[in-house]
Amino acid sequence: MLLSYLKIAWKVLLRRKFFTAISLFGISFTLMILLVVYAMFDYTVGPHRPELHVDRLLYVSRMQLLYRDGGQSNNAVGYGFLAQHIRTLKTPEKVSLSKANFELAVAYVGQQVLKLDLKRTDGEFWQVLDFDFLEGRPYNPGEVRDAARLAVLSATTARRYFGTDVGVVGRPIEIDAVRYRVVGVVRDVPLTRANSYGEVWTPVTTGPDDLRKPDLLGQYQAIILARQAADVPTIKDEVQQVAQHTPLPDPKLFKQLNMRAQTLLASYTARFDNNAGADGGVGRFLKVMVGLALLFMLLPALNLVNINVSRTLERSGEIGVRKAFGATAGRLVGQFLVENIFLTLLGGVLGLGLAAGALALLNTSHFFAYSNFALNSRVFGVALGVVLFFGILSGAYPAYKMSKLQAVKALKGDTAA
Amino acid sequence: MLRHLITLMWNRKRANGLLILEILLAFVVLFAVSSVGVYSWRNYHAPLGFAYQNVWKMQLNPGTQPHAEQFAALQRVLARLRSTPGVVTLSRSVDNTPFAFSNNTTEFRAIEGKDRPAAYGDVYDAGPELRDVMGLRMVAGRWFDRRDEAVGRRPPIVITELTQAALFPDGTSALGKVIQGNLGEKEEFEVVGVSGPYRAGGELSEPQPGYFLYISPQDTARALFNLLVRVQPGSGAALEKKLNEEIRAASGGWSSNILPLPDERRTQLKVNLTPPVILGVVCIFLLVNVALGLFGVLWLNISQRRSELGVRRALGASGAAISRQVVGEILVLTTFGLGLGLLVAAQFPLLGVFNVKTSVYLTAMALASAGLYVLATGCALYPSRLAAGIQPAVALREE
Repeated sequence: MLLSYLKIAWKVLLRRKFFTAISLFGISFTLMILLVVYAMFDYTVGPHRPELHVDRLLYVSRMQLLYRDGGQSNNAVGYGFLAQHIRTLKTPEKVSLSKANFELAVAYVGQQVLKLDLKRTDGEFWQVLDFDFLEGRPYNPGEVRDAARLAVLSATTARRYFGTDVGVVGRPIEIDAVRYRVVGVVRDVPLTRANSYGEVWTPVTTGPDDLRKPDLLGQYQAIILARQAADVPTIKDEVQQVAQHTPLPDPKLFKQLNMRAQTLLASYTARFDNNAGADGGVGRFLKVMVGLALLFMLLPALNLVNINVSRTLERSGEIGVRKAFGATAGRLVGQFLVENIFLTLLGGVLGLGLAAGALALLNTSHFFAYSNFALNSRVFGVALGVVLFFGILSGAYPAYKMSKLQAVKALKGDTAA
Repeated sequence: MLRHLITLMWNRKRANGLLILEILLAFVVLFAVSSVGVYSWRNYHAPLGFAYQNVWKMQLNPGTQPHAEQFAALQRVLARLRSTPGVVTLSRSVDNTPFAFSNNTTEFRAIEGKDRPAAYGDVYDAGPELRDVMGLRMVAGRWFDRRDEAVGRRPPIVITELTQAALFPDGTSALGKVIQGNLGEKEEFEVVGVSGPYRAGGELSEPQPGYFLYISPQDTARALFNLLVRVQPGSGAALEKKLNEEIRAASGGWSSNILPLPDERRTQLKVNLTPPVILGVVCIFLLVNVALGLFGVLWLNISQRRSELGVRRALGASGAAISRQVVGEILVLTTFGLGLGLLVAAQFPLLGVFNVKTSVYLTAMALASAGLYVLATGCALYPSRLAAGIQPAVALREE
C-alpha cells in the first residue's frame, strides 16, 4: 500500500517537473536556514570540546545584588569568595575557578603586533574541561599555586607567534612584557564557547589581581563538574544555599543577593536578561526561538499549500475515480499526506546538503573566530522532525480539500470549490 | 473594466483566501526589510562628525597599584606620551570612545522656554585636547580651554547642533545659556560652545543630541584609564610597542592596550551589519519563494480556465485584452493583500514600538508597496502571455 502511494507520488513529481522544482526549492531552503541556525546553536551549547560533558557542567559566573531602591548590580564573582564557598562544595567532582572574561594581551613578533585573548585559569580548569591537546600538557594545580609563568597556546596562536604549532613546548613567549614558558598547545577553541575561550591560557596567579580579597563582586567564575548528570540539581541547591547564607554587604542598601549555578545555555541567556529567574531565561529564550522558527516556516508552508491545492485540483479525475470505487475520505487524506511527506523528505535531503555547504562556507570565511560548524546526529534528528512537521503542516489543508471533492463533480472536471 | 475585475475577484475571495494571505505575508516581509534598510541608509548618510584615521584608543590598567598613587602615575604617563615622537596629541576619555559599544546617556533641560524643552542624548567626557584629537568642528562659541579652570563659576558644557535645535526650538543661540541635568538646580552648566555632530556610536547609530562635559587636567576622579591619541600618519606596530613600554616605565607597571579606531570601526560594522544582512538574505529567499509560488499557481489557473478564456476570445476579445485581464486580476488580489498588510504595518508608527521616526516607516511602506506590485506583475507576465495565446477553436473543442 505505502509502496504504491510512493510510486504514485514519484510519478506525480515527475509529471510536472517545474512545479516539483518550485516546491523542492522552497522546502530545501527553508530547511537549510533552520538547520544552519540549529547547527550553530548546537555548536555553541551542545556537547563539543572543550565542554564535552555538558550535561555534567554547571557555571557560577554571575552575582546579582538588588538594591532597596530598585537598582541592581550584575557582575562576575570575586575569586576569594568563590574559593571559600564554591570550591569547597561537597557534591561536585571538581570545581575550577577562572577569569570570567578573557583579557586583551599584546605580543610582538618582529614588527608585527599580535593581539591575543588571554584567559587566566587555575589548574583544575584542564581537568574539568576536555581540551584537545595537540602537544605538551596543561599546567597543574601545584604550578598554579607557585605562580609559575607557564602558558598553554591555541594552535593558531602558536603558528602566529612561532610560525609553527609543532615542537613549541618549552619555548618562551613574551606577552605584555612578561615571559612565559609554553607547556602545551591545544586545538583552537571557538569564540562562541565564551566560558572557556582563549587564545592563550595562563595561571590565574600570574595576573595582577589580589586573589585573597573576599569581595562578592569580582571578575571570576566557577566551572563545576558533577560526578554524574543526576547530581546537577543537588549542586544547584547547594549553590543556592551558599547564596542564601551569604550576608548582604550592606543590609540598608541591598535587599537581596542572587547567585546561581547554571547550565551552559543558561549561563549565556542570563547575560542578556538581568531579570531572569531560576532557569536563567532559558524557557523564554526557547519559546522565542521556536516562535520565530514557526513564523519563518509560515510563508514557505503557505506557498506549498497554494501550489498543492492547485495541483490536486488538476488530479480531480483520478480522485473521482478512486472515490467512485469506494475509497474513503480518510484513505485519500492519508494518501495525500504520504505524498506530501515524501516530497518534503526529498526537500529535506537537499536541505541537509545545502546546510552542509552553507556551514562549510561560514567556516572558511572565518566570520566567527575559530568556528568549525558541522552537521551531527542531533542536527539530523532536528531535520527529520522539522521535515515531518512541515510536511504535515503544508499537506493537511490540501488533503482535506481534496477529500471533500464530490465524486460526480470531480469526474466531470468541475473543480470550483 | 476595473470595477468588473474587482467584483470578479471579490466573488472568488474564499477561493483566493490563501493567496491573499500569502501576499499579505510577503508585504509584511518586504515592509520589515525596507524599514531596516531605510533606517540604516539614513543613519549611514548622516555625517559622523569626526576623523577616526590615525586615532588610537588606549586602555590603561593599573593592576594592583594602590589607589592613592594612581593619579600621580597617570600624570607621568600623560607627560611621557606627549613627549614621545609620533604622538600628535592626546586626550583623557571615559569608556564611550568612538565605536566602543559603550554609551552614556542622560537628559538635559533648558531653564528657559514655555515648557522647558528637554533633550535626551549621549554624554561624553572631554579634555581640552579632544577637539584636536578627533577633528571636531565648532559651529559657534569655543571648545574647552584654560578659562574653564576658573573657580566659582558654573561648569562649562559644549553641546552639538542637534542639541541646540532640540533645547532651543525657537532658533536662538545656546551660547551663554544655562542648562540643567537630572539633579535640577544642583547640576547647572553654562553652554560655552556649539559643535558639529559627534556620533561615537558609529555610522549606523541614529543621530541624537550630544553633550561634552569638561574634564579638567586636575580631575582625579573621572576618565583616568582611557585615552584617545592622535598619532602621525603611517604609525604602526613600532610606535605601538614603544608606547606600551613608555606607559609601563612611566607608571611603574601598568599594563595597557592599544586599539586603533579604524580597527574598532571595522569590528563594530561587522557586528552591526550582520543582523540586517542575515535578515536581508532570509527575506530574499522568502520573496523568491513567494514569487515562484505565485507564478506556479497562476500558470495552473490559466490551464484550468482555458475554456472560459476561449469563450472570451471567440466573442472578440483581443489577446492583449486577455493578458490585461489576467494581470489585472492578480493586481486586484495584490491590492486586497496590500490593504490588509498596510493595516498591519500602520501599527508600527501608531504604537511606536521601536522608537523610530514615522517618516522611516512611511518611506518603507511606499517602497514595500511598489516592490509588491513589481513582484506580482513580474509573476503574472508569462502566464498572461500564455493566456493571450489561447486559440479559441482549440480551447473550445477540449470540452
